Amino acid sequence: MHIPDGFLATPVWAALDVAAAPAAGYLARRAQRGFDEARVPLLGVMGAFVFAAQMINFPVGVGTSGHLVGGALLACALGPAAAGVTMCAILAIQALVFQDGGVLALGANIVNMAILGVFAGYLPFQLWGGGRWRRFAIFAAGTLSVLVSALAALAELLISGVKMPSAVLGMSLALFLVSALLEGAITLAVIEALEAIQPGFIGKPAAGRPFALRAAGLAAVLLAAVGVWFASTAPDGVQKLAERSGISQAAALFSTPLAGYQVAFAGSPWLRKAIAGLAGVALIYGVCLLIGRAARTRSV
Amino acid sequence: MHHVVLERWSRGASALHRRDPRAKLAALLVFLVVVATAHRALPALAAALLVLLSAAVVGAGIPLAGALGRAALVLPFTAVFGAACWLAGDPARGLALVLKSYLSALAVLLVVSTTSLPVLLRGLETAGAPRYLLMVAQFLYRYLFVISEEAQHMSKAAASRGATLRGLAARARFRAAAGALAVLFARSYGRAGDIHRAMLARSFPGHFLTLDALRFRRGDAVFLVLASLAPVAARAAVERFARWPA
Repeated sequence: MHIPDGFLATPVWAALDVAAAPAAGYLARRAQRGFDEARVPLLGVMGAFVFAAQMINFPVGVGTSGHLVGGALLACALGPAAAGVTMCAILAIQALVFQDGGVLALGANIVNMAILGVFAGYLPFQLWGGGRWRRFAIFAAGTLSVLVSALAALAELLISGVKMPSAVLGMSLALFLVSALLEGAITLAVIEALEAIQPGFIGKPAAGRPFALRAAGLAAVLLAAVGVWFASTAPDGVQKLAERSGISQAAALFSTPLAGYQVAFAGSPWLRKAIAGLAGVALIYGVCLLIGRAARTRSV
Repeated sequence: MHHVVLERWSRGASALHRRDPRAKLAALLVFLVVVATAHRALPALAAALLVLLSAAVVGAGIPLAGALGRAALVLPFTAVFGAACWLAGDPARGLALVLKSYLSALAVLLVVSTTSLPVLLRGLETAGAPRYLLMVAQFLYRYLFVISEEAQHMSKAAASRGATLRGLAARARFRAAAGALAVLFARSYGRAGDIHRAMLARSFPGHFLTLDALRFRRGDAVFLVLASLAPVAARAAVERFARWPA
């Protein structure tokens, strides 16, 4: 689900852009460090594959069909960092060339699909992909990746104030669940077919991290998915909780120069908000650029 | 196809085509922020901005009806959410969703159809976006059409062998589709290796070399100021004078 521009409230898209920019940079560095330059064409071509894979339909039931989304398949085949970079590139091309997803909302889409989706898809594979639960792990990878990104997108929309009747909300949750299970089934079928063509093509996950850490990571993802589910079905409840626990008052204790997105000197209120927003974006841009410079000089 | 049209439009020679990509991206960002933060007198503002964008589209020598139609690609998605908002008793927000997403899509389309994608990505790179990510995006765009065509050939070949016939059970068709996708995956993987060897044979240095460097001229600065002020001024005027209820 690609969120277009105009759907998210300003604090939501701005915050997610701020989160996505350094994360995408980190993923790019990580993917670049892990592999030689042969991976550049590989990642690009595999991104093109994900686009093209949407042309091949899988029959689901009565007259309907679905297609591969691809985050989990890429994560299993290329590893999480490379898959994340590929998904970022796919989302950027979709936003620019195909009007699929907004430009201001690109950060939100990257967080939902390239970061949360890919890592939720990689965790089960990392946990159980090497042993006897391999088939289940791959199925869970596909299912979780779609479920987590769809729920995150839905939560962002609801937080932004997009209203939905509860019947529509329930229907879309059911739809998400079905498409998530379908993605799991497709991912599993494709990987099994691949291994029939070329045994050992999708390797076993790299071992090394302690089991407890991985289990904690998976638990965090599950918790986030379930939590977001509850939060999205009862957004007012979360607000009430925040008020009751005093989070909303605590936030006012900290005063930042751009608090409330307003600058003191400009005239009308919206102009102030817009200027403050742009100044914030420029500030974040500058900080990211400086960090990038510093990281580059250190690595050379 | 959609992308081929964009490619043709982006090869024009209008004043807008010649502007530095960074100036266009910055002006686009201002426009998008102006639209995203708007909440008062939205229909009037949308009309004013639509006139502004249409004038730019015509000025750039791009067919207006074609551009308006392409931007409407967002409408099926936003219309569903707009209808949901309307059903939930908030028709104003539903209308706002549709108007904002359409205007934003049209603005992005205007920039992309007056700038070729390699130039646009180079502009992003000089503005500090990670080069590795942009190289992946460039490869993706280059091979998108190659791999898509391969997928189309495969599905045509399967259809001509009777794969679409109803006789086959759903389970068998599911497995056949998975097999096709696996073959496409393996072929793409192999093709990427071939591409890399061919690049090495032509002494690829690890990043793309370009013939002409981007230069931010005075004209670009003037364009940036004017193009950023236009939507801001339009919004200020509309919110001052419009008697429309929000």
